[in-house]
Amino acid sequence: MAGERKIGAPILTVEGISLSFGGVKALQNVSFDVREHEIRAIIGPNGAGKSSMLNVINGVYHPQQGTIRYQGAEFHDMDSHQVARSGIARTFQNLALFKGMSVLDNIMTGRNLRMRSNLLLQALRIGPALREELEHRTVVENIIEFLEIQAYRKTPVGRLPYGLQKRVDLARALAMEPKVLLLDEPMAGMNLEEKQDMCRFILDVNDQFGTTIVLIEHDMGVVMDISDRVVVLDYGKKIGDGTPDAVRANQAVIDAYLGVSH
Amino acid sequence: MRRNWPVLLLGLVLLIGLILPLASGAAPAGFYVEVLLGGLMTGVLYSLVALGFALIFKASGVFNFAQGAMVLFAALAVARLAEHMPLWAAIVISLAIMVLVAWLIERLVLRPLVNQEGVALLMATLGVTYFLDGFGQTVWGSDIYKIDLGIAKEPVMILEQVFQGGILVNKEDFVAALVAAALVAGLTIFFQKTATGRALRAVADDHQAAQSIGIPLNRIWVVVWSIAGLVALVAGVIWGSKLGVQFSIAQVALKALPVVILGGFTSVSGAIVGGLIVGVGEKMAEVFLGPVLVKAFDLAGGGIENWFAYVLALLFLLVRPEGLFGEKHIDRV
Amino acid sequence: MATQASDTFPRLLQHHAATRGARPAIREKALGIWQTWTWSDLLAQVRATTCGLAARGFRRGLNLAIIGENRPRLYCAFAAAQSLGGVPVPLYQDAVAQEWVFVFQNAEIEFAIAEDQEQVDKLLEIQPQCPKLKHIIYDDSRGLRNYSHPDLISFEQLQELGRAFDAAHPQYFQSEIDQGKAADVAAMFYTSGTTGNPKGVVHTHDSLLKAARMGAEWEGLTGDEEVLAYLPMAWIGQNIFSIAQAYVCGYCVSCPESAETVTADMREIGPTYYFAPPRPFEALLTQITIRMDDAGRLKRRLYDFFMAHARKVGPTILDGKDPVGLFDRLLYRVGDWLVYGPLRNVLGMSRIKRAYTGGEAIGPDLFTFYRSIGVNLKQLYGSTETAVFVCIQPNDQVKPDTVGPPMKGVEVKVVASGEVLIRSPGLFREYYKNPDATREAKDGEGWFHTGDAGFIDRDGHLKIIDRAKDVGRLNDGTLFAPKYLENKLKFFPYVKEAVAFGHQRDKVCAMINIDMEAVGNWAERRNLPYSGYTDLASQPAVCDLVRECVEKVNADLAADRELGGSQIARFVILHKELDADDGELTRTRKVRRGFIADKYGAIVEGLYGDKGEVFIETQVKFEDGRQGMVSANLRILEAKIFSTAAARKAA
Repeated sequence: MAGERKIGAPILTVEGISLSFGGVKALQNVSFDVREHEIRAIIGPNGAGKSSMLNVINGVYHPQQGTIRYQGAEFHDMDSHQVARSGIARTFQNLALFKGMSVLDNIMTGRNLRMRSNLLLQALRIGPALREELEHRTVVENIIEFLEIQAYRKTPVGRLPYGLQKRVDLARALAMEPKVLLLDEPMAGMNLEEKQDMCRFILDVNDQFGTTIVLIEHDMGVVMDISDRVVVLDYGKKIGDGTPDAVRANQAVIDAYLGVSH
Repeated sequence: MRRNWPVLLLGLVLLIGLILPLASGAAPAGFYVEVLLGGLMTGVLYSLVALGFALIFKASGVFNFAQGAMVLFAALAVARLAEHMPLWAAIVISLAIMVLVAWLIERLVLRPLVNQEGVALLMATLGVTYFLDGFGQTVWGSDIYKIDLGIAKEPVMILEQVFQGGILVNKEDFVAALVAAALVAGLTIFFQKTATGRALRAVADDHQAAQSIGIPLNRIWVVVWSIAGLVALVAGVIWGSKLGVQFSIAQVALKALPVVILGGFTSVSGAIVGGLIVGVGEKMAEVFLGPVLVKAFDLAGGGIENWFAYVLALLFLLVRPEGLFGEKHIDRV
Repeated sequence: MATQASDTFPRLLQHHAATRGARPAIREKALGIWQTWTWSDLLAQVRATTCGLAARGFRRGLNLAIIGENRPRLYCAFAAAQSLGGVPVPLYQDAVAQEWVFVFQNAEIEFAIAEDQEQVDKLLEIQPQCPKLKHIIYDDSRGLRNYSHPDLISFEQLQELGRAFDAAHPQYFQSEIDQGKAADVAAMFYTSGTTGNPKGVVHTHDSLLKAARMGAEWEGLTGDEEVLAYLPMAWIGQNIFSIAQAYVCGYCVSCPESAETVTADMREIGPTYYFAPPRPFEALLTQITIRMDDAGRLKRRLYDFFMAHARKVGPTILDGKDPVGLFDRLLYRVGDWLVYGPLRNVLGMSRIKRAYTGGEAIGPDLFTFYRSIGVNLKQLYGSTETAVFVCIQPNDQVKPDTVGPPMKGVEVKVVASGEVLIRSPGLFREYYKNPDATREAKDGEGWFHTGDAGFIDRDGHLKIIDRAKDVGRLNDGTLFAPKYLENKLKFFPYVKEAVAFGHQRDKVCAMINIDMEAVGNWAERRNLPYSGYTDLASQPAVCDLVRECVEKVNADLAADRELGGSQIARFVILHKELDADDGELTRTRKVRRGFIADKYGAIVEGLYGDKGEVFIETQVKFEDGRQGMVSANLRILEAKIFSTAAARKAA
């Protein structure tokens, strides 16, 4: 039923990334690219280096070797907030929401980078500041509707069940209107129904906003259905890269997954 | 069932202590209210200093020993600058100086020490404390200076119809209380209603997440320390106009420690309520409990004001370590 | 109120747009803000939609399927179909697609409007079986952008077509409305009967509007009422309240933001007029009970104390007929301040002037609860075929066990068999393409045979006991009214559903569904671990809990002259929840007793046998349409029977 999505040129390229902590080699010479508007999955057994890869892209870790090119330019030694500023948003495997703040405030913080007016005007809520706040609020309300969390606007995030917190995490990342969205195990710890919902949201985000999505998952099943291309990591090395079907047929991948008991 | 009874018990004892002098007729109502108001007034000052502590602790996890020194430093700046210019100009310039101090602290102390142990940061703020004390005297001098707010100091007699003999209050105290309340209200609006306030709350909640959505920690720290500087300035001016600007301010400001223990380290409302409780409590204890102890145990008496707050804080650490309004860590599964 | 000349829905709409054009007609919460259409806005929207439908080939006599939650645009489509002389057919949006097939074939539906992707997918799924379906209009385009199906068109596109069409044929809209007659069909409602295929109940403009007007006059409704529409449009009750009566009175209808926000939206809108079947009332009370169970001791004591007082004097104070002592009155005031007021506020019922329940009998305790806290809840009686209004309890004559006297203009009679017959201006015209069923239900003199058993009491109130065909007798001749027993059981927050058996048997037995939320909470407070419904339902502690409920019902029944002999002797707690998707409940969540007796024949046998346990395996349908098997060993439990003579003496 779905028509053709326009998958574009590579927007993010990682080349020869190696990262080690002391003697532990977390990533060894990993290269792949992410094309604009695609859903790109990075999978692999536990400890394969998926999260390290994400943290490298996100600027939390700085690799010893290799380069990252984003939108044509190389970026070097950027810290997380600079990466965020350049249009890359992320969600967290172990939820890093502001638990004491309401759902609405959490998502509004995602707009922080785009706030322009000065403090005094903000406090008085007059003139351009009011207009700006309303604009941001409209964007946020659209996301709230999109992710179907209208019933929880005023609820402190810490009181929501886990599946909903994951949705708020996604909402906050979306509020940044990112070009590239990094999702760190968005389906971890969810039941089947919640997983299906999350898949639907990821597909809808990709479809509706054209957001490029890089998705890390430990569990192959769900991801294969929604990704355009898949990178497979094992012990910090890339062992497969291609369409879900190609990856499924790849002997090295089969061995890696069979070698790990689930 | 939550284990609330030790706190309830403690609260009950305090409450009885508060009411007893009045109920037993040991103190005439007018005098009693006077003591109460005096206690509240001191409490406001404790609250302001504690507020500075709590803000910084919440936003950056640093226990800022230098808060007292900042109060002294700000008061000195205002007092000395006011000798050469109108008071309002002195206050504005002092505020600018406090922002500069905040920026320097972030740049020279916090940033290099980021991701270090809490103890290292604590030691660093101790260093800042002594530096500010000393440097303040180097720059501004070490005499006792006056800050004159231009408000009549003569006490006013009010409520003569209600209490026999009326109540003596200081107009300056009233103004000070109003200013402090306005400051707290302003801060509340700032935190709840502005994007920067939201960012501050976000940083206080989770550093890493805040950073990943593009909130620059360094700038937030400068903002928080500047606010702490503003609070210190207000406290310094009020204090200085009441008692004069002198070195002992920094010592008295240490009373904020038991106050934040009482109120909870991360709670703004805790700092305020805690400050008022300590202020009233120690004054009441000094005036009414003191003589009783003197009579009963044949002691020299006096000095209760100096240790009351710490004993109270100790009791709180025993029964409710997270303080009155502090976060209790309940993990939902 | 509009004049009699406005005798069709479209003409009423024009009347309101002309006389109260700037007043709100319909509201929807979108992006967290209530967005309002005035009556003029609504007319303009309807005009564009009407012309759009016409441009796509919709014409007089066709049926338009409407599928979705309450949404302004679906309401707009409803009126657009009527403007063209077509018939809107609202369908239950939570049905699985296959359940619609019959309706689409029966009504030869060519046009359908669906709320969102979910509903569009279902329509596309059944399209091969319903080849006439050629036009699918959707309201919310989310997820549908990449659908390239030729029969799909968005609501915006339809209206664009309409505006172009309107510009080319400026007289068309008015001339279509002018052609409409009061006797034309205005809407069709498919009843999900307990057996066989659903029947399309055909209502004319005349029948719907006369019934709506009758109700409005009887209750003194004005154009200032506030209504929150959150039950399915396909349910006649919601339809009458949020469309027919809104059109008659000109009041504003609000649509909630989503199904989860209804409670919050209720609080914001503050409806003055409210109608729901007993189930939502029950769900609200269950929520409160759970919250009170979790509350601190002081709060709970306060609640218990004042609720006891409210039960004692609340209903009497609300009735305003009998005097209440000064002290009781004062205490009630205090209670109102501390408990009842906040409670009404939490329920979103602070401004309610009249609330109704109907469609099913309501447990007297549940009913009294709402009246005791000052919510003017009343019972009404009616059905799809009567356009709701048959009986309503007048304000000062509210009794928990009757549905009130017949309304002005309605004739009610009870025939020898006990069945209730009705003649009223709101009566349906016929069952769609089903003359046999029409003849069976509506006799030559125009009496509608309701199929309900009941009688008229001394005060002229109608009292319904059960479906006429369900009322039976035990082998010893004792009267057995299954629904009466089931309702008594269901009043307990722990019991979600119950099915009683006893006709032509020696004793009464029952199957019970526990309420997962309430019992789950109860178990958590007692630190009872459980893994899911089936596990929870089989815990011995839960069995004892339910047994207590059953025995309380028995004790109650013992005092009843007629039904005292039909106490529940044995029961089981079912291993799965009864579900409409498995065909065990109707879409309006009534139990389908015959179906259940067949499906769970083994359990029934076990209940009437002498073993203490029965093995059962059943098929279940998951939400995504897949099927699976659930099996369990069910314990059969015994309940204490009370002596009727002793109970009556005590009473």
